Amino acid sequence: MSCKRFKILLSAYLDQEIGKDEEEELLEHLKTCSGCARELEYLKDIKRIFLLREKKEPEEFFETRLFTRIKDREKQPIWQVYLPAFKKSIFVVLIFFFLIVGFLNYKKFFYQRRTEVISDLLTDTQVEENFEGEVLAIYYGPPR
Amino acid sequence: MEEDFKLVARFKKGDQQAFELLVRKHKMTVFNTIYSIMGNIQEADDIAQEVFLKVYTKAGSFRGESSFSTWLYRIVVNSCLDELRKRKNRIISYETEFSQEEKLKLKDVLASKEEDVSEELRRKELEDIIQKGMNSLPEKDRIILTLKEIEGLSYSEISQIMKISLGKVKIWLFRARQKLKEKLSFLYPEE
Repeated sequence: MSCKRFKILLSAYLDQEIGKDEEEELLEHLKTCSGCARELEYLKDIKRIFLLREKKEPEEFFETRLFTRIKDREKQPIWQVYLPAFKKSIFVVLIFFFLIVGFLNYKKFFYQRRTEVISDLLTDTQVEENFEGEVLAIYYGPPR
Repeated sequence: MEEDFKLVARFKKGDQQAFELLVRKHKMTVFNTIYSIMGNIQEADDIAQEVFLKVYTKAGSFRGESSFSTWLYRIVVNSCLDELRKRKNRIISYETEFSQEEKLKLKDVLASKEEDVSEELRRKELEDIIQKGMNSLPEKDRIILTLKEIEGLSYSEISQIMKISLGKVKIWLFRARQKLKEKLSFLYPEE
């Protein structure tokens, strides 16, 4: 196993997230590899630096400010609460809308055209109309 | 954990006091996680407020499939990522280079015994130095180091929060530590 792989294991070893077999293999390697042993000390230092970190407090009246915001929000009409989210999503909704409308129209056009082509191919249709445009008779001819 | 489930259940039934208890219980964790990722107190305060507002409005969608804290950490991480995305359009520069004085202080602290550095003043100075180191890292590394080193979460919890595999948690943590080590290379002049 290469030192790079052992160095990845060192990080997991330090977090106590390593399997027993891997741990045994790693400890065996550490006995003979000064580079990895030094790396372990560096990693311990980094961990220690974080442990020395002091917890910070939020700014004053955190809860009071939060509960006031919640109360104000509840007083707002419902459309005002969802307006920002609506504004954000409106473009995506519009794009989807036009895509769907485009797809449906394309389908409609495609099927209409196909029906016309097929009927032209199969029949020689003649329509007899009177002067007012009323259909009097339709003659279906033989297939072409 | 059981207590959190009970509080959420009470809040879902309309008990406002249960929500207030949840806020009191988790505000320090939420605030410190955000501060460590964002590196700015004012910003951390604003995002922490937004996080609890989201908890208030989205509590109904919490089904208890994970622990409440895992669910909360996911909201925290996503809120930070949203803010960092917005930040890309703004120019914000944080100081990430260590001064000579800070380098010496950190060396001094690591050389001394732990009890010697427990004085409050020294801890506060150290806090800024650590945050400077964190601010110099890419956002992914800051998040994973925060969850592991500051919040002390397990790999399994981190994998659930960041939605990555356990193997990735292991590799990402290794890489983040390597980058931080490079940043702190002044501590190891012989390397």
